Amino acid sequence: MSQNKAARGGASSKGKRSNKPGAEEKREDVLQAVLIADSFQTRFEPFSVERPRCLLPLANTPLIEYTLEFLAMNGVQEVFIYCGAHHEQIERYIHDSRWSPSSRSCPFSSLEFIRIADARSIGDFLRDLDKRNIIDGDFVLVHGDLVANISLDGALAAHRARREANRDSCMTMVLREAGDGGHNTKTNGITPAFIIDPNAKRCLHYEEITPFQTDRYVTLDPTVLEAREAEARTDLIDAEIDICTPDVLALWSESFDYELPRANFLHGVLKDWELNGKMIHTEIINEGYSARASNLQMYDAISKDVLSGWAYPFTPECNIFPGQTYRLRGDNTYQEDEVEVAPGSQVHDSILGKDTHIGDESSISNSVIGRSCRIGSNVRIVDSFVWDGATIHDGAVVEHSIIAERGVVGKKVYVHEGSLISYGVSLSDETDVEPATMLSLLSYSGQAVSPQPELVGSQGKGALFHNPEDDEADHDDPSILQKSLIYSLEDLDIETSSVSTLADDDYMSDDESNPISPTASQPTSRSRLSSFASDDSGAPSYSGFHSDAVHGLLDVLRGTSGNFESEKLEFTSLRLANNASDGAMRRAVATAFVRRAIELMNAESEPLEPIKAAKQVLTSREGASEFVTDVGVGDRSVTEQTEFALAVQKACANSAKLVEVAKAGNLLAAMLQQMYDLDILEEEGILGWWEDERGKEDGQMAGVREKCQALVEWLENADEEESEDDDDDDDDE
Amino acid sequence: MALPKGGYAPDVDKFLDTLKSRPVDASVDFLISLLKRRQIRGSESCAIATARVLLQVVAKDKWFDVDQLIGRIQLVGRKLVAAQPHELVIGNIVKRVLGLIRDEASEDRNDAGNDSPSGGTPLPPSIEAVPVEKATRPSPLIVLPSFARTQSMFGLLSDPNFTPSPGSTPQLGSGSSTPQRYPQSTNVQALKSEVIDGIEEIVDEIKQVDEQIQNYADIHIHPGDYIMVYEPTRTVQKFIARASSKRKFIVFLVVDPSSNSGDPYASFRKALSSGGSTVVNVMNVGLMAYMSRVNKVIIGARAITSTGGVVVDSGAAAIARAAQQQGRTVIVLGGVYKISPDNRSHQETSVEWGSPSKYVNFADGQMVGQVKVKNASSEFIPTEFVNTYITNLGAHSKDHLHGIITDHYNKEDVSFDLFGKSQR
Repeated sequence: MSQNKAARGGASSKGKRSNKPGAEEKREDVLQAVLIADSFQTRFEPFSVERPRCLLPLANTPLIEYTLEFLAMNGVQEVFIYCGAHHEQIERYIHDSRWSPSSRSCPFSSLEFIRIADARSIGDFLRDLDKRNIIDGDFVLVHGDLVANISLDGALAAHRARREANRDSCMTMVLREAGDGGHNTKTNGITPAFIIDPNAKRCLHYEEITPFQTDRYVTLDPTVLEAREAEARTDLIDAEIDICTPDVLALWSESFDYELPRANFLHGVLKDWELNGKMIHTEIINEGYSARASNLQMYDAISKDVLSGWAYPFTPECNIFPGQTYRLRGDNTYQEDEVEVAPGSQVHDSILGKDTHIGDESSISNSVIGRSCRIGSNVRIVDSFVWDGATIHDGAVVEHSIIAERGVVGKKVYVHEGSLISYGVSLSDETDVEPATMLSLLSYSGQAVSPQPELVGSQGKGALFHNPEDDEADHDDPSILQKSLIYSLEDLDIETSSVSTLADDDYMSDDESNPISPTASQPTSRSRLSSFASDDSGAPSYSGFHSDAVHGLLDVLRGTSGNFESEKLEFTSLRLANNASDGAMRRAVATAFVRRAIELMNAESEPLEPIKAAKQVLTSREGASEFVTDVGVGDRSVTEQTEFALAVQKACANSAKLVEVAKAGNLLAAMLQQMYDLDILEEEGILGWWEDERGKEDGQMAGVREKCQALVEWLENADEEESEDDDDDDDDE
Repeated sequence: MALPKGGYAPDVDKFLDTLKSRPVDASVDFLISLLKRRQIRGSESCAIATARVLLQVVAKDKWFDVDQLIGRIQLVGRKLVAAQPHELVIGNIVKRVLGLIRDEASEDRNDAGNDSPSGGTPLPPSIEAVPVEKATRPSPLIVLPSFARTQSMFGLLSDPNFTPSPGSTPQLGSGSSTPQRYPQSTNVQALKSEVIDGIEEIVDEIKQVDEQIQNYADIHIHPGDYIMVYEPTRTVQKFIARASSKRKFIVFLVVDPSSNSGDPYASFRKALSSGGSTVVNVMNVGLMAYMSRVNKVIIGARAITSTGGVVVDSGAAAIARAAQQQGRTVIVLGGVYKISPDNRSHQETSVEWGSPSKYVNFADGQMVGQVKVKNASSEFIPTEFVNTYITNLGAHSKDHLHGIITDHYNKEDVSFDLFGKSQR
């Protein structure tokens, strides 16, 4: 269906091209909107493995309903929905809903899906949109997780007036004031900082501030401040509602490597203002509600806001969404029809969906309970979200957690704060779920996993959910702060001293968790970046490079695509595009090779021993060892080799969640051995690594290091004996 | 190149403009979502939109007999009421239209002389549907049995269109299993045009309410009176402005200090002072101090229940209570269309909760996070606080309200529960 439509869109756009001025004039009163229904993020895992984020229920209504209702509310006529992951689910949902173009009650004159198979970022979507030529005037760009009730009329009028005055004002961002103090509905971890000219409402500079930042500064280009007034605002909720002209799409196309609308696009366009001359304005509103459920913490906050009426008319009582029959009963509790609450139970500040039954003496507060839920007696549910069809048996306690659809919580189970219980997971009686546990029936790649009785009980179903990419992501990537339901900086080692990093232009240094900054303490000969040192200390998308690089390499290692010759080129261009540091390169290479080795070790059909896995990964593909030598290690200095060995160690330590620590250690030893044999690492390099303090940290790092004792001793003695035997002995320990 | 008039966001005017060009069902759904999103609000807008959309149902839907039409209107009416249960006028208009159809149909049948005994027409003893409508005088022969029948549950249950079964829409055109209560109209077309005319008259009546009510101003406001108004609606403003054109008196204008959107009453103030009357601004808190001076409190109603209770904008109930304590006259203004025949208890449903942002700025993170803020946008004044009701038909005491209801609504519709579970 969508393909036909896309084709039609393409065809009609050709017609429009020829007489564009006329068409624009004529269609000026039709408001178009582009809805991005994929975030390319993993912040809603494990739920987003099975269901796209925009279909997750917020206050018992799928998120996309709020967004579409917002568009309808503002008189949008034509909607284009860009889908990525799970596109078939979204299309089916829309098709069956009243938004379907065939439905008589659809408020939009057209609603089209555009599907792109190989899109890897929002940037790809918008570049594709530019090619299609279906946008012929101003349009509203929103995301599929938006909850807002603001009226855009004022912003649209202001935008249009500006555009008429100056063709170069191409975009207006609608931002909501949220005060200087703490606010639940502000995003945690990443604070957007807008430098705004308050008179012209022009945005001059954009930066994202994170707790990991070492310097706590926003560095401004002096030209930004020339002869203008400027305000630095960090008090804004950015729901990413943008009113754009088609010029915006052209800008996206010009910069092929932009991925994120804010961190890349906005930052970049503003920085290059002298080059492109385009201006971006802001419309700061202080009435109404707008926020994006961009992560679980925001999901939590927005649910609370909806419950307390801030998003009016998006409150349960207004029953905006078809088929809902909520009424306010008792103590700020919204109930649908046929809800049974046994006498003696206390429910307050909650939402109860249809056909939900609650047993005796239970208490539910500040929670959202879906439809057809069965809740037993003496249950306590606090600050939690229980989705449709979940069952919670007698005596269970659920604190500040999410129980997804069809989840079963057995008798006297205690679910502690921050736990995420995904679809269909079943907890047997008297299980104790540790805080912030993620349980799922599927792995991150969507494969069914076997139950882990130690977590879900003997009768339970489900296993610990874990995405290996999380470990490999930079420890200073602020997105990790947004992955949990509860925001916390406790477990993180945040560098408070900035003295040691003064000379450190390498802001992507991989060792942020290590108090001693590597470049500062050990000057290396390889600061390839120093000539690039620029003032944009907050350049975002560190994780982008890492995951792209690792995925690319993995594909080559698996033999599915390309060879190392071309990969090397790609790697270099990727590095330049992302301005990635040497450390990031090292880490990516080390991670990819270790990950592949682990894959081989865990292969279902014929698992390999660590030694064989290491050998295969480094030798089976042609050019692999050269690649590691050139890209991973760089020049042949001892420091470089040490750093690379350290990166391999780290990668092994991170993978310890996929295999046992001992095996990871064996793998490390085998990898180092193999690299020594292949002349990738020299004796001095390995010994240098062995001496390095950073490798001796507690925990996994030390755990995997132990296994290399034998290898190092052997190297130190410069023994000519066969070393395989020694390693085998180690294996048995 | 300019924005479309009034921006893109849909509202009541845009809705009325698009009525003709849309299919009926789409219009109904559009109205439902506008009501739910509260983009059509205020009793007059709701009433007019409801009447207009029902007119489209009558005019465009295919129906072959009166039962079918009534069933259809009831179905649409239930959906509209469910969309905004706090606006009682929606239900009122639906019931007015239902009564209108029944009257026209019985008149039609009487004219045709077709009085078969199977068609027991439930007619109330006297009918005065719309002011202009001439009352039908059915022969007593028919009135008696039909009256008995209306009282029975059977009358309700035997009608397939009454089935409150949710989800299933009544099958149009399949009323054959039950005896037709209205004989097949020989001239559906004629009935249709009469009903349409009747609905147009209802719309005109709604639009004329303000003018008609202000005609009674002279009788109720005397020179030198001290009048208190609270955030006056347009009806109240016109009423007082009319009086001030002839007389001089003093108005205490009570405004809610939290509404900071300029001065919405500037023109009202100007109209009063040009007539020589004095306007005293009172902030909500200073209210009681002035009450002892006040002669009359004038309140605009959102809806009036059959027992005399009044649904008003929040804040007015406190003033009515204060006036009652001091023994001051409380006058409620509202068109006849606001008088609801529904005799359920309105106390709880009449309170509508709005956005707390009227009182607390969302930017205040501490308040938003820690404090529960509730903002009632409407509230209920019990009967005993109100002395006089002024409608477009004149002044009434609460005892007369029932008479107005029987004049304007068909008995059969009065008991019809529009609040049933029509939607799933």
